Amino acid sequence: MADTDKSLQELEDLFAAARSAPPALPDHLSTAILADAARVQPGFQPAEPPRQPLWRQLTEALGGWPTLGGLAAASAAGLWIGVAPPSFVPDPAALAGYEDNSTAFADGSYDMALMLSEDLQ
Amino acid sequence: MSVTAGEVSDDALLVLYANGDSRAAAELTARLGPRVFGVAMRVMGIRAEAEDVTQEAMLRLWKMAPDWRPGEAQVSTWLYRVAMNLCIDRKRRARGGYVDLDAVPEPPDPGRSAAEQLQEGARHDALQAALMQLPERQRQAVVLRHLEELSNPEIAGIMDISTEAVESLTARGKRALAAALAGRREELGYSDG
Repeated sequence: MADTDKSLQELEDLFAAARSAPPALPDHLSTAILADAARVQPGFQPAEPPRQPLWRQLTEALGGWPTLGGLAAASAAGLWIGVAPPSFVPDPAALAGYEDNSTAFADGSYDMALMLSEDLQ
Repeated sequence: MSVTAGEVSDDALLVLYANGDSRAAAELTARLGPRVFGVAMRVMGIRAEAEDVTQEAMLRLWKMAPDWRPGEAQVSTWLYRVAMNLCIDRKRRARGGYVDLDAVPEPPDPGRSAAEQLQEGARHDALQAALMQLPERQRQAVVLRHLEELSNPEIAGIMDISTEAVESLTARGKRALAAALAGRREELGYSDG
């Protein structure tokens, strides 16, 4: 047992001695390694930035999502005002001088109810 | 940023290299080259073979650089693993290599007497000779654990085995080394202790 311990301690001494004197990298090997590095390096392709879809490019060109939100809100409000204008909004057609006569029949004697009743008979 | 600054990680240096910074290659070579070469020397036992393994391992590092994902693993661990696999491949091809004792460096130490230096050289040689008697995997595990001082989990990652298997390999390896060196005590200067 004592011999084993002694042998292991001697082995530890040998390890310590070997660790304290690691082999140096030979100059010619270092030169060859760096030559390899210089030869390989130019082959690397520079990383391309990821391609963005068109909608994202447009979004970013306009100023991002906050801008798009405002644009959408303004568009919706414009459509609403156009379809069902509030009472205080003047009729643009009237302002332009056009008369709205779409509901006036050319023939005042025309009576839809009378015509239908004739068809039923 | 200076790539030679000591605080720059291996990860960052590899990314710099992949982005075209040639100074990063020099720094990585200075940091990792000696470690890979040292391990390869101990595992292969032949200087020329160790040099080939080191150059090939570093070449694979350069080629892999653009695909490296920082933070997922240590560059040194990846490199050790490549080097160990290259050593195994070469050993398999060689079939019965030999120990090139002259290849083991004996660092000059002017502060010691010639006799002491000779004895120190003999100890280096004896350790290398004993290492070469070990089975391949035991030798790798012992070198990584006791000469590179890596942790058992890191060695497990390098050798692709469990931590328990690493412990078993290093324990058996140490016992075999101690037995191989026991007969050379006097020659190595341990007889008086």
